[in-house]
Amino acid sequence: MFETLPERFREHGVDTDVRTLLLLNKAMHRGLVKTLGDMFNVLKGIVVKDPDTLGPFTKAYYDYFLNIEIESGERLDDAILRSETFKKWRDDKFEAIKDLDFDSERLVDEFLNDVHLTSYDIKEIINGKNLIDDDNEVKDSGDFSNELEQQRRLLEKMADYSGMSLEELLIRLEEIAKQQRGKHNGGSRWIGTGGISPFGHGGAAKEGLRIGGTGGGKMARKILNDRRFFPVDRDVIVNDNNVDAALASLKGIIEESAYEQLDIKKTIKNGLRRGGLFIPELVNEKNQKLQVMLLIDNGGYSMSPYVYTVQNLFKKMKTRFAHDLESYYFHNTIYDVVYSDSRRTKPVSIETILKKDPNYRIFIIGDAAMASYEINRTSVDAYKALTKKFKKIAWLNPEPKSHWYYTMTIGFLGELVPMFPLTPKGIEEAVQKMNKISNTKLD
Amino acid sequence: MANTDFWSGSNKYLCDPQLAQAFHMSRVLGMPLLIEGEPGTGKTELPIQYATDKNLKLFVYPVGSKSNVESFVARFDHVKYLRDSQVEILNAQRDEKGLKSKMSTGGRDTESLADYVIQGPAAKAFSTPNSVLLIDEIDKAPREFPNDLLYALSHRKFVMPESGEIIEVTEENMPAIIITSNREQELPTAFKGRCIYHYIHFPEADVMRAIIAKHKLAMDDKVIDVAIDIFYHLRKLGLERSPTTREILNWLKYIKTFSTKEALEKIQKLEGMGSLIKTQTDLERVQQAIFKNSGDFQKRSMSN
Repeated sequence: MFETLPERFREHGVDTDVRTLLLLNKAMHRGLVKTLGDMFNVLKGIVVKDPDTLGPFTKAYYDYFLNIEIESGERLDDAILRSETFKKWRDDKFEAIKDLDFDSERLVDEFLNDVHLTSYDIKEIINGKNLIDDDNEVKDSGDFSNELEQQRRLLEKMADYSGMSLEELLIRLEEIAKQQRGKHNGGSRWIGTGGISPFGHGGAAKEGLRIGGTGGGKMARKILNDRRFFPVDRDVIVNDNNVDAALASLKGIIEESAYEQLDIKKTIKNGLRRGGLFIPELVNEKNQKLQVMLLIDNGGYSMSPYVYTVQNLFKKMKTRFAHDLESYYFHNTIYDVVYSDSRRTKPVSIETILKKDPNYRIFIIGDAAMASYEINRTSVDAYKALTKKFKKIAWLNPEPKSHWYYTMTIGFLGELVPMFPLTPKGIEEAVQKMNKISNTKLD
Repeated sequence: MANTDFWSGSNKYLCDPQLAQAFHMSRVLGMPLLIEGEPGTGKTELPIQYATDKNLKLFVYPVGSKSNVESFVARFDHVKYLRDSQVEILNAQRDEKGLKSKMSTGGRDTESLADYVIQGPAAKAFSTPNSVLLIDEIDKAPREFPNDLLYALSHRKFVMPESGEIIEVTEENMPAIIITSNREQELPTAFKGRCIYHYIHFPEADVMRAIIAKHKLAMDDKVIDVAIDIFYHLRKLGLERSPTTREILNWLKYIKTFSTKEALEKIQKLEGMGSLIKTQTDLERVQQAIFKNSGDFQKRSMSN
């Protein structure tokens, strides 16, 4: 079943494999999938593992199960309106909606309601009916099972799908999935035979339209219109949108240092074994610690667009970890002083910086682009002293990596200090490199 | 298999339908439910309300930076064990000397190691059929914890330390396991793969109205409408820490103490804002926004 699903979902950048199918199969056998809406929810629970994948997942689902291709940046409404599937659905529903004079938005609403209708919704509708029938919710447990039975039968009556065996249902869903390549030869046959809507023809839902539901469709719309639910491009310079992704990479710099402590458990255990002679046993106690220093180039036009985002990034970091985070500023390149304020009025000598704990992680942020004469002896010495003292040091450059080659000073400074692009991916690489250093040192 | 019934919330708790479905799914499949989302969207409330509503036993494990599998499953109390064995020696010595008075081990027997096993929430939940187990804020845990946890949970079986006692649970009696996370740390992929995942979206205004209604504040609808309007306006400002459900409820509780007319005035002036806005920079930002659109804010409350 759905053998092509992993492959097709992968085309949308959604991680799926044979385990997805196995889990989906399990869910189906346990009766979790009765409608197309159920399928959406169940697959979502299995496949989506962070908000970033919600967008691509929704796209993949619409493509695979409904033959609705949503182009990049296109609104869900537009994609639906131009799809064959929608047109078939509308023809199918014609009787029910012809007198209602809906505009296209309302029509899409109805379509979404049908597509995302879950078996829970159906139950809800039935429950709602029961509530109206008799106001007394309180029942003794005796006729409760009776009521459940009644509900079940109502559900069966209302949903065309329930009359089907699991095998039939699977075949049907598979057919739906296969439809999508057959656009030009008539396509969506399944719609005519009960269709996406379990209310289909006849049945209890002759009145046609339903209000409410779990809002699966509404959510799908919202997700597709919100950039937050699509993965950020990890190779784009850090900006307000991907600052959180960059932050995630930065979290790698929390260091777990270890110091020794008395191991009470082991002391007692071995002491008892020795017949009451207690010799203290020691254990490494793990401790999290973060020491970060930023040296930011905030001079010149070329850097100004980045200063705000960079500070924002590290400010977020600070509010989360509230440990040592120090920022200093410089203009173009570092000489014998840096400044502790962004207006560069309070100088701090490099000597002072060099007296800090060598375990500080240093991030130098700047475009490293300047006239070559600006890098003089003092400047080179400063970088050499910094890299010698602080092993965990990295230069983050907002200039696209492809341009580095053309700027002489970038190449030169890159020789002195390990340089990475100021992108979520670049930051991650820098952090990984730093972590390696700390590890070899501890060993 | 009472635990696989669909549950959509109680009269005190409005459960987002999508969350309710994910929760149901996780119980039917016997997998833990991992809930992520903004603070104040009711992640922790779900298991608490579910347990109260269904009258099930709830076990909570609040995760912290020092969490480990030992404290989650079970640990052996070595100190007490040492004390009791020393007490036994002492008592034997007193016996020899013919002394009557003895020290007590509090009913514990050093021969029976199980007496010294202190069970954590996981062991307790696994020995109580159909209970609810909440693992709160797993993102606060040290990096290796989620994977250790995964191992512990996937076997439905714990071996108690030292005593070797085995706690086992059938798939039918599995506790409903809910794990919450604020996304302060990315969880390992393998861990996520074993969970049913649900991301809670911040409730829309109409849902918020229903949530407020569930809290039975007994307030004028007009006041609530204006408050909700301003609340969502504040959320749009892009504050460092946007106000959440918890904050608007607290704010309303404060507003509630006044008459309708007074209350509307208070809302207009954003009085009691301390319960909505939590940082100094945000406060400044909001004040700026009011200054800029003071007319706008007033129009909002007048037109309602």
